[in-house]
Amino acid sequence: MIVCIAVVGHQNNPLYIQSFTEADDALKLHHIVHCSLDVVDERVNNPKKSGPTLNETFLGLLYPTENYKVYGYLTNTKVKFILVTTDLDVRDADVRNFFRRFHAAYVDAVSNPFHVPGKKITSKVFAERVSAIVKSFGLSSAV
Amino acid sequence: MRIEYKPAIRPTQPTPICSTVAYALSFLFPHRDPCFSQLHSSAPNPNFHSKSMEEYPDELRTPPIALSCLVGCAEVHGLITAHLHSQQPPINTIALPDFSKISLIPPKKPPRETSEPVAGIFRRDWLSKHRTRIPAVVAALFSSHDVSGDPAQWLQVKLRINHFSYILLMATIRGRNIKLVVVVVTLSGHKDYTSEDRMVALRKRAEVDSKNLIIFVPDDELELRQSLNRLWTAVADLANVYYRDEGRKIKVRLEKRSFSSMELNVRYCFKVAVYAEFRRDWLEALKLYEDAYHALREMVGMSTKTPPIQRIVEIKTIAEQLHFKLSTLLLHSGKVVEAITWFRQHTANYRSLMGSPEVIFLHWEWLSRQYLVFAQLLETSSADVQHVPSMVSVAAEKPTEWEFHSAYYYQLAASYLKEKNVSLEFALSMSEDVGPIDGSAESVVASAYLGQFARLFEHGDTCIMQSLTDDEYVRYALAEGKRFQDSFEIIALLKRSCEAYSNLKAERTAAYCGLQMAKEYFAVSDFGNAKQTFDNVASLYRREGWLLSLWEVLGYLRECSRGISSAKDFIEYSLEMAALPVTSDAFEPSSKDCGPAGPATLSQRGKIHEEAFEVARGESELNLKEQNTELKVNSDYPLYLEIDLVSPLRVVLLALVAFHQPVVKPGAPSLITISLRSQLPTNVEIDQLEVQFNQSECNFIIGNGKKPHIAAISNIQPGRRVETAPSLVLATNKWLRLTYEINSDHSGKLECIYVIARIGPHFTICCRAESPASMNDLPLWKFENLVETIPTKDPGLAFSGQKAIQVEEPDPQVDLILGSSGPALVGESFILPVTISSKGHAVYSGELKINLVDTRGGGLLSPREEEPFSADNLHVELVDISCHVPEDQSEAPSDKIQKIQPSFGLISVPSLDVGESWSGQLKIKWNRPKPIMLYVSLGYYHQSGEPSLQKVHVHKSLQIEGKTAVTISHRYLLPFRQDPLLLSKIKSVSDPDQMPSLALNDLTMLIVSAKNCSEVPLRLLSVSIEREEDNDACAILPQHEEFRESVVHVPGEEFKKVFTVIPKLNCTRLKIGTVCLRWQRDSRVEEQFDFCDSAYQVTKHRLPDVNIELPPLVVSLECPPHATLGNPFRYSVKIHNQTEFLQEIKFSVADSQSFVLSGPHNDTIFVLPRSTHVLSFMLVPLGLGSLQLPRVTVTSVRYSAGLHTSPASSIVFVYPSKPHFEASDMKETRTNSVVAE
Repeated sequence: MIVCIAVVGHQNNPLYIQSFTEADDALKLHHIVHCSLDVVDERVNNPKKSGPTLNETFLGLLYPTENYKVYGYLTNTKVKFILVTTDLDVRDADVRNFFRRFHAAYVDAVSNPFHVPGKKITSKVFAERVSAIVKSFGLSSAV
Repeated sequence: MRIEYKPAIRPTQPTPICSTVAYALSFLFPHRDPCFSQLHSSAPNPNFHSKSMEEYPDELRTPPIALSCLVGCAEVHGLITAHLHSQQPPINTIALPDFSKISLIPPKKPPRETSEPVAGIFRRDWLSKHRTRIPAVVAALFSSHDVSGDPAQWLQVKLRINHFSYILLMATIRGRNIKLVVVVVTLSGHKDYTSEDRMVALRKRAEVDSKNLIIFVPDDELELRQSLNRLWTAVADLANVYYRDEGRKIKVRLEKRSFSSMELNVRYCFKVAVYAEFRRDWLEALKLYEDAYHALREMVGMSTKTPPIQRIVEIKTIAEQLHFKLSTLLLHSGKVVEAITWFRQHTANYRSLMGSPEVIFLHWEWLSRQYLVFAQLLETSSADVQHVPSMVSVAAEKPTEWEFHSAYYYQLAASYLKEKNVSLEFALSMSEDVGPIDGSAESVVASAYLGQFARLFEHGDTCIMQSLTDDEYVRYALAEGKRFQDSFEIIALLKRSCEAYSNLKAERTAAYCGLQMAKEYFAVSDFGNAKQTFDNVASLYRREGWLLSLWEVLGYLRECSRGISSAKDFIEYSLEMAALPVTSDAFEPSSKDCGPAGPATLSQRGKIHEEAFEVARGESELNLKEQNTELKVNSDYPLYLEIDLVSPLRVVLLALVAFHQPVVKPGAPSLITISLRSQLPTNVEIDQLEVQFNQSECNFIIGNGKKPHIAAISNIQPGRRVETAPSLVLATNKWLRLTYEINSDHSGKLECIYVIARIGPHFTICCRAESPASMNDLPLWKFENLVETIPTKDPGLAFSGQKAIQVEEPDPQVDLILGSSGPALVGESFILPVTISSKGHAVYSGELKINLVDTRGGGLLSPREEEPFSADNLHVELVDISCHVPEDQSEAPSDKIQKIQPSFGLISVPSLDVGESWSGQLKIKWNRPKPIMLYVSLGYYHQSGEPSLQKVHVHKSLQIEGKTAVTISHRYLLPFRQDPLLLSKIKSVSDPDQMPSLALNDLTMLIVSAKNCSEVPLRLLSVSIEREEDNDACAILPQHEEFRESVVHVPGEEFKKVFTVIPKLNCTRLKIGTVCLRWQRDSRVEEQFDFCDSAYQVTKHRLPDVNIELPPLVVSLECPPHATLGNPFRYSVKIHNQTEFLQEIKFSVADSQSFVLSGPHNDTIFVLPRSTHVLSFMLVPLGLGSLQLPRVTVTSVRYSAGLHTSPASSIVFVYPSKPHFEASDMKETRTNSVVAE
């Protein structure tokens, strides 16, 4: 299950961060997302180490915490997407698929003429679409 | 000291190991006082870990080393021990001085009965026993004397040693299957004791191979080394055999699965692995440790007679030990990825095995220790191994970046330790009766089996171990747990992790560690450290706009400030929190768990805001319950907050100041708009605003119209301007705009610096003014979707408004006139009149500044000069400034500034009333022709006695050309119709640089011509030739001529003067002298400045050196100056031979149609030395006018030089009849020998 999804801007500031847990752990998830930005930086700055993921938007598993797995995605405009999931057995393809759909939703949201680039995304339509994508995570491949 | 602990992949290749390998690891982890960690130390030690790797026993931490034993001949033990230890691989030794001590080797236990239940998995002392007490090889040392005598009497020999000991020795080693080496120690002089047959006999008796019987010669260097090497080879081989046999023996049991319980399975695997390690067979060791680990894993959940809690504790302890061995082997062989994967597996396996809830803290402690130990292992091995993540492994299982760094594991160790702390506290609170444990806890000790505990009863001298029930164990564990305080360890671990992450440039993760650390400090009420750490963390969250995290940190910081009773910090943090853009909207139901400040909501912000202002106004004093300190703001402790451009409090109060115009005249009013904005959630009413400028007399105060009494409170300086605004209320995100007029009399920059808001009697916020044009976005609010408002009503001003205005100078009402009189002439002191005339301003303390600047920017110095500054180098210099001092104003010369430098001048101007004028002259001298720019500026006060007034400046500039006035040239002329033969002229080819040659003792004309190059008429005063050397080398006439009536020289005209030169000395380089021409400007200038009458300029022209030589021949033509038609006249050619030789001269005369000629036509004649030959012709002119005389060509044979008379010198004028001349005219013509061209 996806517990948190975040869009992080150029100054590593959160543009959109949404947790999907019942428990009251928003703050903890914020910290996880924030710390994972270090790994994104590391990967982006040392592309030679990450080898095959060069020139790819999907950054792969950023780091495993005990209870979560954190995946990253970097758009061509250098906006970062961070995904935190509790599923410890996740298929890469699912995550890629998720990010692809999430990216499409993000592009639509920032294409809104009333959206100011660099500001937080407050669109309700975007939020609804994101929660739909999150709910269908892992199912889509089965269909 | 570094070690390499590499499993040899190819067993034939010796693996290099440092000699002190046994102790190397312990050097890496220096021992500390174990008691230290138990103490509640006041300061946390960063190198402080409670249950780190160093608490493992030595034998576990170090790779096993084969053990041998030396018996007998104690004098050579030192030598052998050192040698065995220094070899590769090293061998440890137990040295027993004589055979009776052999009983120290523990005898073989009787075989265990299979029916007997297994009490535990590992014996606690098994490993150390094999490391230190059971040797693989015993080397029995005999002195050669002992084996002397007849080999047949061997038994007696043996008896001599001590038969009993020998039997014991053999029994011991046979029982344990220990190998034997016999060493015969002999001196090199006593070789005969060790004869072949004796040795054979000895070998047979001791049942050893020949290679295991070694003759040891300690007193010969070479033989000693050989025998030591032989001994080492023998011992090492035998040790290998021993460990292999031992391992094989147990392995057989494993293969047959002939064990009664899982415990034995694990134990056997472990033993085989250890024996393999002794043999340095790392691969096998690794495999068997893995088998042991997996077998142990299977034991989880199997019921045994051991109580379940203790069972799990034991299994985990064993798993920890096995995992440690595995990780060590993997890491030291460079298989970092495998080690990490293994560790991941290990923690995943056991994380869920929490055990009973009462002692769940033990589980967390255990898990924390796993991470800590792995971190330490990784840290020590990373020095050796460059870990590059291998690409071959599956991408999903590939360890991520941080897993290669110890920081990651330290962080998790800390977090589990924290977990342990929490659960321990919970467990303690659940069982309050744990305090007084009937003394039984003290008697609980570690039992003989690893990971088990037992109670020790003492019955007199004997001790009995009694196993514990789970209940007892839990109480024991709780009691033990209570003795330690983990906070400092957690802090130390986090600090380590934080530093490591910072080194990896992972600042966010480092900050997260910092946050945890600060929370731990906070938990132990170390507010100082907590605040400092929180502050660092907060700055990162602020920068990156992580609001929720920032909210939490600020909440903690608020509590810390309360803890250290700093009202200022408390209010700063509170206000920052209140102004955070936390707007709990529908998207995110705000989290409850957001630190001590409560949920991040708008209402909570409002609450914090109110609380802060209550304290700030002094209306409430926050009392802290526990400490008797309080946060106070009153007249003794006024509160002063300063907000600058980088302060996080800019969101609380932002002050923009904009002048409506960029420049203003002094005294003229200008509008200024002050815009204030706050993001605080509720309205703030300001009692008084003060606006401060860099010109303090412009400062003013804006009072709140609704609170008129407040203005009286604050101490307003007398004379200060006070305005009143109808209301000063700041609403959230709304601009409060105030526009006022401002008036400055001072020219220069007028800049608004501070806007100071006073709220209540003791609370002041000093806000640095910003310009709207250069305003930065508010740091955190810029990411929010906020209604953008402009700070001023005029949108143009909002984008371009500046907080500073330029106050201009008043307009000058004084004329500065530079009288120009055309170009200057080089050499003269050019006079430039300057006039200052007042038109509307009186002039006080006037100063005139003069600057000379090269128009081409090259400076006034000539470019080649690097030499010290001197007037000669200057092309143009300011020589003097003179002025007319009015007679009546007898000013003291002291207050008259006059400063003159070559390119700069400063002169004070006397005070002038309106309408008066003043003039002076600048005297500028040109040394070389050069155009310059003259800048003159006048600065003055237009009112006297007010130094605060700004000076008024008038500037003028003028370009002046400097020109050369006169150019002088010269040439030499020979006397008319006389030609000396100058040999140098014949010899040399025509050369422009050639020195002119003059004939010795002969008269030569020097014509000096001076051309006026300037544009003004000049008056020439005199011309002279100044001799350089005062000698009689040559006579020049006239030396000096003063013109009685000065010659006016109009532009372009050329003036000529003739001198006669008679060289008297034959020399090749004669200095003639310098022509000096004195001149001055013509009268027009003179009328204006009468004092310039006496001033004249001198133009000099140095005449080049000449070559003087004696001409061998001088030819002169003689004929009358004119002739009359038909009248014959004599025309003679005189050839004067000045040499001592006879000269042969050829001559010829060409006929001319204009004359009838009589005389020799052509011939060769000889001229005697120092005599003159005259060729004489009579001519009768036949024509009229200027006629060419017949051409005479004279050639000297000796010098091959001919004389060709010039056409000009051979012309005669023929009159039709004899003319009549006036006598006076004749005279005139003769004296004035001016030759007109």
